[in-house]
Amino acid sequence: MTQLRVDHVSKDFALRGRADVLRVLEDVSLDICEGELIVLLGPSGCGKSTLLNIIAGFLQPTTGQVLHEDIPVSKPDRRRTVVFQDYALFPWMTIEKNVEFGLKAQGIAPAERTRIARSFLALVKLSGFEDHYPYEVSGGMKQRAAIARALAPDPDILLMDEPFGALDAQTRVLLQEELVRIVAATNRTVVFVTHSIDEAVFLADRIVVMSSHPGKIRSIHKVALPRPRTAETRSLPNFINLTQELWDSLKPQWHVEGANAVRLQHAT
Amino acid sequence: MRQKLGAQTTLLAIGQAPLAVWKASGKIFRSIMGFAVFLTAWEVLASTGLINAVLLPSPTTLFWAASDLLRSGTLFRHVSASIERVLVGFALAAFVGLTLGVVLGWFRTLSDFVKPLVEALRPIPPIAWTPLAILWFGVGNAPSYFLVFIGAVFPVFVSTYSAVRNIERTQINAALCLGATPTMLIWDVLIPGALPVIFPGLRIALGVGWMCVVAAELIAAQSGLGYMIQQSRLLLQTQFVLTGMIVIGIIGFAMNAVMTAIERRLVPWQESSKVT
Repeated sequence: MTQLRVDHVSKDFALRGRADVLRVLEDVSLDICEGELIVLLGPSGCGKSTLLNIIAGFLQPTTGQVLHEDIPVSKPDRRRTVVFQDYALFPWMTIEKNVEFGLKAQGIAPAERTRIARSFLALVKLSGFEDHYPYEVSGGMKQRAAIARALAPDPDILLMDEPFGALDAQTRVLLQEELVRIVAATNRTVVFVTHSIDEAVFLADRIVVMSSHPGKIRSIHKVALPRPRTAETRSLPNFINLTQELWDSLKPQWHVEGANAVRLQHAT
Repeated sequence: MRQKLGAQTTLLAIGQAPLAVWKASGKIFRSIMGFAVFLTAWEVLASTGLINAVLLPSPTTLFWAASDLLRSGTLFRHVSASIERVLVGFALAAFVGLTLGVVLGWFRTLSDFVKPLVEALRPIPPIAWTPLAILWFGVGNAPSYFLVFIGAVFPVFVSTYSAVRNIERTQINAALCLGATPTMLIWDVLIPGALPVIFPGLRIALGVGWMCVVAAELIAAQSGLGYMIQQSRLLLQTQFVLTGMIVIGIIGFAMNAVMTAIERRLVPWQESSKVT
């Protein structure tokens, strides 16, 4: 059942002009099952985005490895597609051409590409915007397009790196509900990075809480909330309790982080 | 009350519509007026003898001079010589500048070797190369090609280099995780991603090239608009000097307009803003 295994992964970054290295991830191990929605939650600097980049194959771990169906990940491929915080749509392509990109890479014929792209655009409710350029649509629509683009090549795992971080609060809540619906419709494994507790609880099957300096896994929480998740989910006692529990456990670290940020500001 | 207000705003709107038209057309009108006043003053000063008509012929004299040059075919001959030179030099510069920009932008270590050399050559004005160009290539088309090349190659190189350097990493990552082949990475991501920065560089390069070709022809050619105005100066035919200058200006303007039009066609997504 394990589809993706993160096996004792550590990551060091070389520091410019210094002999020593910065340890960003330390001995992270995690098994992710098919169809599961995993949220990596933690303060900034906890290495959650680095971990996602390693899973995607953009970065290589210093030690340890990531196994995708028992085969080590060495470079990016279309079985693990990524949705980025800043959308990373290609501004020179229309929305539809963006969604077709991964299909074109597979050598699918143009007519078939269009058909598949349109069906995914319908899924993310962007029908009618096929011929628009990204600059012509809102941030929320760009992110819907990016989700459609990532789903189109039929990946095993969808990797999402704080995808709703740049959106306003209302759009964010709407897209969380949309994502739950889309994931249910496509039955895809999702690894979702966020620093929003609320978002984590609403989306996740399991929440992996990470702590920083160096980044490691601190605790894993199963989310016992029924699916489908809807707006009402947010008022369930379980939702409120888990949110509160996570708040309480993360608060000390966020305090430290806030204090560090203040200290840094004074230092510079 | 509301009705009255409505009526008032309608009236206002009716009053404003011609106002808006006047404002819009007013701008064109005013710029035409500016030209008209300038040309009339010039004409009056030249025809009344207040200024020396040999040193600065009147606009009507220029008009007849231009039509003479057109009818005899002289103007066409010089214009086509100049344009041919600028296009050859520009094509060479575009090829070298684009290739060098892409290669040095992509391979950083190689760039460490070559970039300082390029930066050392860049501040030398193209005109300063003229004596060398004549020594190396004699008199004819070659020194003009060379000077246009020297003037145009740096803007193309600099814009291509920084375009390739500044392509967003996430866009490349996005392409890679979607399974992009190397061919797709180059043709569907790198090149279109760099175009919005490269194109203004090409446009500037063509403008600089046009200035260089005129400068080259003043000294090292037997034809072309630069040669024409230089010869006319020796014969004290100022009407042909000025006509030549005006034609040089018009062609420079037209080339810029053509490049802008091509840019709009090739880079339509740049219409409003650089997209994040």
